[in-house]
Amino acid sequence: MSEALLEGLLLVLQWKALAFMSLGIVLGFWVGLLPGLGGATTLALMLPFIYNMQPVEAFAFLLGMHAVTATTGDITSVLFGVPGEAASAATILDGHAMAKKGEAGRALGAALASSLVGALVGAAALALAVPVVRPLVLTFGSPELFMLAIMGLAFIASLSSHGGRGLVRGFMAGALGLLLSTVGQDPQAGVPRYTFDSLYLWQGLDLVPVLVGIFAIPEILELAARGTSIAGSLPAGKISRGAFEGVKDTFRHFWLTIRCSLIGTFIGIMPGLGGSVAQWMAYGHAAQSARDAEERKGFGAGDVRGVLGPGAANNSKEGGSLIPTIAFGVPGSTAMAILLGGFVLLGLVPGPDMLSKYLSVTYSMVWTIVIANLVTVVVCFLFLDRLARLTGVRGGILIPMILLLVFVGSFTSNNHYGDIVVTLAFGAMGYFMVLAGWPRAPFVLGLVLGKIAENYLWISVARYEAAWLTRPVVVVLIVISVAVILYPLFQARRRGAHA
Amino acid sequence: MPKRATIGLSLVVMLASGYAVFAATGWPWKAALFPLAIGIPLFCLATTELLWAWFGAEEKRDSMELALSTDAVAGRRVVLVAGWMLAFFAAIVLLGFMIAVPLFLFLYLKLQAREGWPMSIGLTLIVFAAFYGLFDALLHLPFPAGVLF
Repeated sequence: MSEALLEGLLLVLQWKALAFMSLGIVLGFWVGLLPGLGGATTLALMLPFIYNMQPVEAFAFLLGMHAVTATTGDITSVLFGVPGEAASAATILDGHAMAKKGEAGRALGAALASSLVGALVGAAALALAVPVVRPLVLTFGSPELFMLAIMGLAFIASLSSHGGRGLVRGFMAGALGLLLSTVGQDPQAGVPRYTFDSLYLWQGLDLVPVLVGIFAIPEILELAARGTSIAGSLPAGKISRGAFEGVKDTFRHFWLTIRCSLIGTFIGIMPGLGGSVAQWMAYGHAAQSARDAEERKGFGAGDVRGVLGPGAANNSKEGGSLIPTIAFGVPGSTAMAILLGGFVLLGLVPGPDMLSKYLSVTYSMVWTIVIANLVTVVVCFLFLDRLARLTGVRGGILIPMILLLVFVGSFTSNNHYGDIVVTLAFGAMGYFMVLAGWPRAPFVLGLVLGKIAENYLWISVARYEAAWLTRPVVVVLIVISVAVILYPLFQARRRGAHA
Repeated sequence: MPKRATIGLSLVVMLASGYAVFAATGWPWKAALFPLAIGIPLFCLATTELLWAWFGAEEKRDSMELALSTDAVAGRRVVLVAGWMLAFFAAIVLLGFMIAVPLFLFLYLKLQAREGWPMSIGLTLIVFAAFYGLFDALLHLPFPAGVLF
């Protein structure tokens, strides 16, 4: 194994592979920054260019590009509250709140450092887990995957606000997200649901316009309402400081970063769940790490742990989702499905051959993830001061620029005016949700998980009827979900008894 | 304001989930299972929240969310910027991206942000050049023409 690992490294370090990886990193850097241009879409656009490449060069190019989109996607999330990627939306809650407190540098430092740790954990998991992951994947059938989705929702719904009323609001927001995910043609019977005779709605609500609207529009409105820059009246010198503090935060909360990286890797391994789920689960876990309700109130108001969790999970999920793609030819996400197309174009067959005959190619992918993330983080740190200073620019100048990004970003999702209408509608909804004190995180997770959960629920019911509820792993996941829901109430009751 | 927002939002969600359940009853079982399983609890939760907001005391904001400015000046500014957003969208539909983008940038900077002529024109030209160069010249994204031009 160590020989193959070394051989993989040497293959990636060949000048042609390095050159293609650098090109991929540059492309991925900009794709991550621009809202609407997703990493998966760009992977698909770049597939035709790999025909004449060797496998190592092609994967260095594609993976180099894909591995950095999540990292740079965090930058716009922190600075402007606009998610550069669907998978970097969770970073907004605390990252942008930190930017508004004049801690943009620290938030970016934390996001980048945790992204790097996450990528390294994901790559290590890919290197180590291939031989042992098969039984784990096979243990999780549709009922278990459905319960895993419900557990994720229970986590975020119960942790995103406090007390009995907070639970009601959290679950209501989650359920609303789940219900809106059913808009579009039903996958089982082909019935158009809640489409109101609109052809645009037949394909369902696209995630990017919804996310851009629900997160960016309220931030823009608030920026206009305050009439200042993002960082308020703080002196410019203070804003750009603290990047190194963010790095230190990563090591101060090292085990949290590692745990969130492992959550990301695990979600990445599970087929169909994807990066958007991983970040919210990690955010929920980070919020759970608060020692008491008082400390938890800091989440959403600029707690650095709310940046570290999603940042780490976002990048570690890449290594995780490569595991089933390489080992069984089962892609863990849309991007991995496209990458699988790359395997076919290059004449490689995922499966046992990738673990024996082409083991060095497999390990070259591990090294690509590691090197691409290292290069991106180092490059980002060089420009961090200048990036952070953007939060000191007057709101009047920033607002039209951010609005342009929002409109173009949402339009380019499907090249349809309907995308902008969706962005504006969900922007208004997001604003009123914030005003009413309803958490947006469970809503987004519900929307992301809805289609997956419905498919798994239907397969579970059709295949096992009610007996799916008695499967051992399902029972364990139900118990954990109930415990997660009841724990805040129990904690509040105990606190009341002590007072 | 938060109380009114809660009541309004709960009412909208209650009506929407009620409609969702009603519509789902007319579909085949396969298509209706999930919307019913979600819609019914959502209707109950929204009703609970509505009653809570209506009859309960104003609660301190405690969710993991940003704090919004809610004074009268902030409210006027929010309405104004929401108007700019709608105007930008209308301009895109009527004039197309290629005309609407520089027009919006210039008018916002000059009229709303009250920037000087050099700043308004300079920034508009720089941002439009970046927009055109990246999305049109480099990526060839198909921006449709407007209804009027």
